[in-house]
Amino acid sequence: MNGRELSLLVACLVAIVVFSVASPHYATSGNAVTVLRNSVELLLIGLGMTLLLAMGGIDVSIGIVMGLAAIAIGRILGADGSPFLALVAGPAVGALLGCVTAAVVVLGRVPAIVGTLGLLGVYRTAVFALLGGQWLSGLPSNLTDLLAATVLGIPVPALVIAIAYLVVWLAVRRTPYGLHLLAIGNSEEKARLSGIPVIKVRFMTFVVSGVLTGIAATFYVATYRNVEMSVGSTSALDAIAAVILGGTSILGGRCSLLGTVLGVLLLRILQNGLLLIGVPSLWQPVVTGVLIIGVLGFEAVSNRLPLTRFQRARA
Amino acid sequence: MRTLRNLQGPALTLALLCALWLIVIVGLLALKPSVFNLGTLTTILQFSTILALVGLGQGLVILAGGTGIDLSVGGAVSLSAIIAMLSLKLGLPPVLLPAVCILAGAALGALNGLLVNGLALLPFIATLGTFFVYSGVALAVTGGAAQSGVPAWLLVWGRGVVAGIPVPFLTLAIPCFALAGLALMATAWGRWIYAMGFNERSARLVGIPVDRVRFILYALSGALAGAAGLVSLAWLGSGRPNIGQNLELESLTAAMLGGIAITGGRGGVGGVFAAVLLLVTLKTGLLQLNINTVWQVGIVGALLVFVLLADRLSQRWRS
Repeated sequence: MNGRELSLLVACLVAIVVFSVASPHYATSGNAVTVLRNSVELLLIGLGMTLLLAMGGIDVSIGIVMGLAAIAIGRILGADGSPFLALVAGPAVGALLGCVTAAVVVLGRVPAIVGTLGLLGVYRTAVFALLGGQWLSGLPSNLTDLLAATVLGIPVPALVIAIAYLVVWLAVRRTPYGLHLLAIGNSEEKARLSGIPVIKVRFMTFVVSGVLTGIAATFYVATYRNVEMSVGSTSALDAIAAVILGGTSILGGRCSLLGTVLGVLLLRILQNGLLLIGVPSLWQPVVTGVLIIGVLGFEAVSNRLPLTRFQRARA
Repeated sequence: MRTLRNLQGPALTLALLCALWLIVIVGLLALKPSVFNLGTLTTILQFSTILALVGLGQGLVILAGGTGIDLSVGGAVSLSAIIAMLSLKLGLPPVLLPAVCILAGAALGALNGLLVNGLALLPFIATLGTFFVYSGVALAVTGGAAQSGVPAWLLVWGRGVVAGIPVPFLTLAIPCFALAGLALMATAWGRWIYAMGFNERSARLVGIPVDRVRFILYALSGALAGAAGLVSLAWLGSGRPNIGQNLELESLTAAMLGGIAITGGRGGVGGVFAAVLLLVTLKTGLLQLNINTVWQVGIVGALLVFVLLADRLSQRWRS
């Protein structure tokens, strides 16, 4: 755990203490479960977004990708499909849309922000067209029961997130893939010249992010048992904010999965706490936006300051 | 055929856009002959004014390169309109409303410029952050409610029509584009913008004040967004906190469709102007055909992706 992750942990604890003092409804076990529950999808999406940002990419359409995957799952459940099929549908749709995004951004050599912004528009229309202006609601609970179960006393969502985290961590820290990813983030041109299969690595990362988002969609449907028109509309911003809070550098070369996890928790703690002390939810995107700019601005300023005596001694 | 083959750069873009425009109009006429009349033309130009102003700012920011992009334009339009209306409620003399609206936009743009220049943040992430801040604040301080009380004389300007052409289009959009076009073609500033977009390193080496130009362009993009907010006030008669919705996508599409290279240094504002008219014609036509407005964002998004891919392909063919 480095300094960044430690300060995030401290920030989480401070936020919890402050909100507990400010609101009598905050420090309850029910609310703790709510915060953790609300973090499940964002943790999965955030893992993928960490990889994307670390290689200098981004995907602002990822929230709506979750929405589209959720619609697919909902349709299968609504048609009394087997829970097994519903479990596969999320990651499958996520992977498919990840391929579409990668085809545009990686094969088409379009800047990720512009390409995914265009796709965001297309996907939003697709959500509308597929839902026909109505909610998908009253879905059967067989998926819910499956994912609310516990294995050896551990809730399934926690287990799935732990496995996803472990797999991504191993890929980043223990395989050449991680090295390639960070090298591409640092300089795509240099990475290509050193023989790294840049296109393959970038394509794969978008697909991985899609699959993780598809799993998130499965939990979304299992929890809420409906799919509304505005599904996932803030997920991309939240995920980007969490990753940046966590200390992953968009300029490449630095990637912190633990930081992302803590960033997601801090973001959800703040959002939940502000709501409970009476700040209208309309302010949420403002808070998230300020966090993004504030953290990046702080990093930029502190990088420019002369080193402190302590830092000089270490360096 | 020879002349067609010799067409390159801006002329080719304009020719393609005109052809596309004709296809859109013919297609719409075939589907619904009563679509186009003088009233529709006025509506198209009225809608175009807002997108043209925002698209101009977006285009200039992208043209100057350095991965420049302004995703916050939509938020800046909404927030500057809301700031103007709220300061009116706080006792601002109504005469100053246009100035406050444009200055508020310029200040929001200048903040983007500070983040990009002063703190050296990547433009897409800095303006993505400010986009959510600006649009979020506009919604949150009003609770989502439209702010009424636009002075009557402003409505006269905003709703006036001369020979079928809306007055704001005549007095704001056309002059802005003419000035920008002239500046790009005939002044040192224009050369600087192309130079720094084409190769920032060499631009710095020959002494072009890259940082100052870039800061001013972000502030200008904000000021144009403020002007668009003013047009929305004068036209609709109230400040709507969500008036800038989807403008980041539409202005990007207009800039790309207008032939400005996403990497900067290539393109011009004439193409952006034509692209704005094409986009708004398409949107208005779809509206006339009673197609849900949700389809617009998808079509505009698909156009953006298509244009970017086509640009890459054509570059490969040429080389």
